[in-house]
Amino acid sequence: MSRTLSMSAILRRSLVHRRARSLSALIALTVSAAVATALLTLYADLDAKLHHEFRAFGANIVITAPENGKPLPADVLSRVREAAGSDAQTAEFAYAVATTDRGTPVVVSGTDFAAVRKLDSWWQVDAWPSPTDTNAALLGQRAAQFVADEHNVQLTFDGHPITLHGAGRLRTGGDEDSRIYLPLAALTAWTGAQPSVIEVQIPGSSAQIEAAIARLQQALPTVKVQPVRQLVEGESRIVDKTHALMYGAVLLIALTVAVSVLATLSASVLERRRDFALMKALGGSQSSLMAMFLLEALILALGGVAAGYLLGSAAAWAISQLNFHTATLPHLGVLPIVLLLNILIAALAALFPVRVLRTLEPAALLKGE
Amino acid sequence: MFFRLLMESFRRQRRRKLLAGLAILLGTTAVTAMLALATTIGDRIHNELSAYGANIVVHPAADQLEVKVGGIDVKPVSGGAYLHESDLAKLRGIFWANNITGVSPELPLHITGKTASGADIDATATGLWFDHPLSSGGGTPLKTGAVLLHPWWKINGAWPREQATTPQNAEAALGSALASRLSLKAGDTLQTGSSTLHITGIVSTGDASDQQIFLPLNAAQQIAGTPGAVRRVEVSARTKPEDAFARKDPDTLSPKMREIWYCRPYANSIAYQIREAIPGSRAEQVRRVEQSEGTVLKRISGLMWLISAAALLAAGFAVSAAMATAILERQAEIGLMRSLGASKTSVALLFYTETGLLAIFAGGLGYFAGSGLAAWLGSRIFSDGAASGSVLIPVLFPVVVTLALLVALAGSTPSIRRALTTDPSTILRASV
Repeated sequence: MSRTLSMSAILRRSLVHRRARSLSALIALTVSAAVATALLTLYADLDAKLHHEFRAFGANIVITAPENGKPLPADVLSRVREAAGSDAQTAEFAYAVATTDRGTPVVVSGTDFAAVRKLDSWWQVDAWPSPTDTNAALLGQRAAQFVADEHNVQLTFDGHPITLHGAGRLRTGGDEDSRIYLPLAALTAWTGAQPSVIEVQIPGSSAQIEAAIARLQQALPTVKVQPVRQLVEGESRIVDKTHALMYGAVLLIALTVAVSVLATLSASVLERRRDFALMKALGGSQSSLMAMFLLEALILALGGVAAGYLLGSAAAWAISQLNFHTATLPHLGVLPIVLLLNILIAALAALFPVRVLRTLEPAALLKGE
Repeated sequence: MFFRLLMESFRRQRRRKLLAGLAILLGTTAVTAMLALATTIGDRIHNELSAYGANIVVHPAADQLEVKVGGIDVKPVSGGAYLHESDLAKLRGIFWANNITGVSPELPLHITGKTASGADIDATATGLWFDHPLSSGGGTPLKTGAVLLHPWWKINGAWPREQATTPQNAEAALGSALASRLSLKAGDTLQTGSSTLHITGIVSTGDASDQQIFLPLNAAQQIAGTPGAVRRVEVSARTKPEDAFARKDPDTLSPKMREIWYCRPYANSIAYQIREAIPGSRAEQVRRVEQSEGTVLKRISGLMWLISAAALLAAGFAVSAAMATAILERQAEIGLMRSLGASKTSVALLFYTETGLLAIFAGGLGYFAGSGLAAWLGSRIFSDGAASGSVLIPVLFPVVVTLALLVALAGSTPSIRRALTTDPSTILRASV
């Protein structure tokens, strides 16, 4: 009992008396824990965050009618939504070729504007048509040059005329520029065209997308389900590479901080060889001395982890908020790794100089040599 | 005397110097590597993102409306306006010419003919560059073409060569769906008009162009009877993500602002310069690619910069803590010097010089180590070889060394000040 007491007294004295040194060691260990926590927390969340950003590219799966000319089944959209999962975005399109009032053939497409707006975030639109306007239209910027009045668009399909209220122009730089978009119900009532394409966006890695394709194909065996190859390949490549880059960065920074901390701590232990010599001369055993050094380092390490975990989680939250505009909440899962890392550094820092000290003669040290 | 003290300090206290130096070295290595990666990440991610295809597309301004559904021309446009293939070399002369990494002209046409076994063919075809040197007189030509801009196209066989085109013969590749429908394979021939097409490979694209014939551009122009004609040009350019300024109409800006707008590599300004360079053209950004690339690029490089900042902060703390300890250890020395009559200034000067020398030396080494590390990591991860330019970024050298110097000096200041303000006799008594 008395031995433990004296041990704790020595420890307390040692930590309080050498406040400057303890503080610098504590700061070093806090920094190492904070850096490890911040990077690991970000790293754990990275893939989900990146996949979220890739949603900007729009649909990565396209469902089309089979080549034998049969249309898509009537309830296809609800079945696709069911099979694709709740976080998937879907939009259906029907196509027909109509003639403008200037006699130019133009592709008209029926769709659900609300769904497209969510799926195809890159569409630049003057004004999205109001959902209540059943005859609203978006004019592709090239198609707009082939109609007489952009606000009162007169089109003919197979002898049936229609007048659409042009809500504005649509700019994409792709095929959409030469099309006119209108609500699906209006197109079906006018031309009889049924949806022939469903675009689906599944967030996630290429394995998740493949699984979704398999699910869709199973639910709808008669239709063609194809990935948009360049998107799926590109996305997984970039996510993998960023992941690898982050991994490299984490290792590099962790190593840097670890070595600096090691330098700081071992210097402060080495500097106390006089204490060591004195204790040895007074009859302290090698193991109890080692235990003392270790215990001191461990207390500092634990303090560092406690402060560093809070700081690091805050840093990860700030970085994520700043960059991805979504919060990264603290991960309890990184705590054991951070703890292990810090204890390892502290233990190494305490043990490395002890090995050097062991060979020293207390008498020579105390004499001041 | 001063120099002797300095020399001896470095000679005798090798362990201490080594540890402090190692801390600085590793700190600068990490910071240099992170900064080097962060500055080049834009180009690297752009290279990766080129997998999504072109981000600028050029049409003839007087083009007719395309009637395309699902990538298939429902009513193929006959006649209409064309761009001139010879004008494409002007792309190499625009202000941001070096940012143009790929150019792929296209000429769609319709091919009817017979296979060797007598089956009828009625298919759409596209004339393309596969591996074409594009140069404007001087300079090294840019090797470019559709293959580069569509990395997801997979060929079984070889891409057609434009050099093989003669008035009677040409090479061609078939889309996989068309090839299986006609049961053709590499090595077969097709007869169309007066030309024989030799199939060199089967292409799988994963979209509607699997139904097509891929021809070298010169062969397509010859078959269509439109020499030098190009319907559409895809351009892949390194761009700066769009901001509010990029969306401004340059013709409404003041001349000075217009100059600034013009000299920034926005997709809009590059498209504007292409319109200026190629007469009768209309160039536009492909928003699906450009806008989304911008978002992804911003996020990834933002992440790298923030992590670099975190690395800088952590390395700064670690290095200054190491320096503080290194000086604190030497309180006895400071006490001895002071009691022997050294002035505070000269002691401080000695310690600062030591720290400074160490910081410059270790920081310089760290710069090279970090640059090497960044190059190694970059090439391991992105496997882009020389695409990212030289390994060393000279601008970083003064930045990194100055940072190392500042951090080391700042880290040692409290310890030096403490040692100097404490009475020498107290220090000496405490440490003996």
